[in-house]
Amino acid sequence: MVGKFEGLDIPKPVPALTEDSKPYWEGCRRHELLIQRCQDCGHYRFPPSVLCPKCMSTNTEWAAASGKGKVYSWTIFHYLYHPAFSRDIPYNVAIVQLDEGPLLHTNIVGCKNEDIYIGMPVEVVFEDVDEEISLPKFQALAE
Amino acid sequence: MSLKDKCAIVGIGFSDFGKRVPKSTMTLTLEGCKRAIEDAGISKDDVDGLLVVLPSSEGERHGWVCRLGSYLGISSTFSAGLDIGGATPIAMVQLAAMAINAGMCSTVLCCYGWQNQPMGIPLTMPPGLDFTVPYGDFAALPFKAHVARRHMYLFGTTSRQMGAVAVTCRKHACMNPGAQMYEKGPITIEDHQNSRMIVEPLRLLDNAPITDSGGAVVVTSAERSKYLSHHPIYISGMGQAHSGEFMRPWRDPRYPEGTFEGGKAADIALGMAGINHKDIDVAQFYDGFTILVIIELEAYGFCNPGEGGPFVEEGRLELGGELPSNTAGGLLSEGHLMGMGHVAEAVRQLRGECGKRQVKDAEVAFVSGYGGAPHEYPISFSYSTLILTR
Repeated sequence: MVGKFEGLDIPKPVPALTEDSKPYWEGCRRHELLIQRCQDCGHYRFPPSVLCPKCMSTNTEWAAASGKGKVYSWTIFHYLYHPAFSRDIPYNVAIVQLDEGPLLHTNIVGCKNEDIYIGMPVEVVFEDVDEEISLPKFQALAE
Repeated sequence: MSLKDKCAIVGIGFSDFGKRVPKSTMTLTLEGCKRAIEDAGISKDDVDGLLVVLPSSEGERHGWVCRLGSYLGISSTFSAGLDIGGATPIAMVQLAAMAINAGMCSTVLCCYGWQNQPMGIPLTMPPGLDFTVPYGDFAALPFKAHVARRHMYLFGTTSRQMGAVAVTCRKHACMNPGAQMYEKGPITIEDHQNSRMIVEPLRLLDNAPITDSGGAVVVTSAERSKYLSHHPIYISGMGQAHSGEFMRPWRDPRYPEGTFEGGKAADIALGMAGINHKDIDVAQFYDGFTILVIIELEAYGFCNPGEGGPFVEEGRLELGGELPSNTAGGLLSEGHLMGMGHVAEAVRQLRGECGKRQVKDAEVAFVSGYGGAPHEYPISFSYSTLILTR
């Protein structure tokens, strides 16, 4: 699969900021992981949304998350879905559960794919992609 | 008022289908519709209700169902385009029964068409994919890899057990000359284990093939159904369950957090039909991915949570087993017919048309659909079920 895209320099897709997600991505750019918290019931939610799925309240604050969590699930991509990822194959995509509760898709960095496991303690690190976007990724939590 | 046995499926039909069919989504849909109407032995002028799966592969196409009606030359008094992913075909049959009983129409054509590579449709990144695609996560398959990983972690489910689902479906497809994988021949667990990893832990043979296809079923009142070509197949039970909770649709006191009652889809249908699991002669489980069958067996109460792996391993789903399932080959080997294939195969089994793969004296069929957009945030799941009887 990699062969057919060889020599092409195709950039990786980046998120487009929306009214809902802008504070999240702006936080990431400052290397801060911000998650919405309901000001009425305290529930943390992701993805960003106008209202709380627990109590329907629209009173919302952006709270600094601890940046710590555990690997909830992980996969290894052997199939190339997008040419921009051809140099990364095989790469991992994990779901991390933040200590605050929400689940995030991400990549685990700084370790071999085969060393990832469910329950692995991790912490956020930010990868600067361009002038606007930094992607939150996760690495093994320093003991 | 219960809708039990108030309506029946009286016609089924599909376009020619396969990995690449050089026809438009509309053409595939129309071919399926024509064959279903012919199978029912009715005129298109008898149809006054039209439901269609919104073809997301075509992008945002307002009025798709209205244009479809114009192409068919059908003037309807009830129409809708629907989307709950792979749970939609069953949802259309349910809505048809409701609309007929509400007096909105008398005979409904429920149809879909799917062309995997329509010309000129750009890949976009709508909100929701922003939180997956930048990490190299694409499409529906990888999320099922997460579902499989969690199931393996929680219950010790193995890749070989998932392979057993693929082997069973292929075995059945080899008795169905219409199946996309008919000529590929049977596979073994070793073939499954040797097939290449796509997104670990899912291998090539854990996935349904790409299929371009169209299909339709005709639903009418029980009263009208008595005077048509085939023995009517009654809609005896129907249910749905939807949730944004995570990936465990079964009720399990050991894992309360994140558990949602996807199993309600079966409870409601079984309750409406007034039957229980042991009354079911043949089942068609939505099997876009092998792991889904294992999870559905648990969610719908055919086995306990965590027992789906051993359940499929012991041949229970094979013809001659205690719960013969996916008898046409399923999405995995008949082809990815969006779940409409499952409705149609249940009808064929209850009519007794299945030849070598016929379940003897089949009178009660269970059919399931599964959908949603679990690869986008927020994660969501849809389950739909039908109980059909003759």
